Amino acid sequence: MTGDLSRLLNALGLVLVSAVLALALTDELWFGDLPCPLCILQRAAFAAAGLGLALNLVFGPKPSHYAVTILGAAAGAAIAMRQIVLHIVPSTGSYGDPILGLHLYTWSFMIFALMIIGCAVMLLDDRQFARAEPISTRLKSLPLLALTLFTVLTLAAMVSTIALCGAGLCPDSPERYLLFE
Amino acid sequence: MMSLPFLLFACGLGAAWLRQRAVAMGFWVAGMVVMLVLFRIHASSVVNIAL
Repeated sequence: MTGDLSRLLNALGLVLVSAVLALALTDELWFGDLPCPLCILQRAAFAAAGLGLALNLVFGPKPSHYAVTILGAAAGAAIAMRQIVLHIVPSTGSYGDPILGLHLYTWSFMIFALMIIGCAVMLLDDRQFARAEPISTRLKSLPLLALTLFTVLTLAAMVSTIALCGAGLCPDSPERYLLFE
Repeated sequence: MMSLPFLLFACGLGAAWLRQRAVAMGFWVAGMVVMLVLFRIHASSVVNIAL
């Protein structure tokens, strides 16, 4: 695998992470499904994992950048698993409405697991780490778009969290934006 | 406080845009630590299930 192909795959991965953040924000702003603290931490874990893909785009593929994504996704999977376990016993309720039969935290866990598997598959090919080809200092259009999209959505998630929780910790079941009270 | 991990990861992204790799990694580490501390704060209760 060449460095360019690796960057293309990382750009696609970053677009998918951005799509997850965009869907979460749409669910919150359009459908009024305000996120719980664990949901917000899962969003943060997507930002953490996506940062590794972003580093691959800017500085070229490195094993340490994949480690950033794997560790971020592992933390996110642990947070999502905690929320699944909270609601796994029948009649203990759930949080939010299911999408395609599964709750968002279950989808979140599966996406984090796929990210870890995807990074492991990418790490199998050492040729992407060779510096035989010159690495351009200018990003091509898709990596630039992916990086811009991810940066904007990370900032949007931050603004949303500030509006929802203010300067403190978030309530367990938020019903309104604390900043506007 | 819950927005702090996003702020740190956004700073990491900003450092990446400015091509400061070490700074970006530093912000990522700080963001991970804050995120895991917040997770610890919110996962304090015992879940009553038998695994």
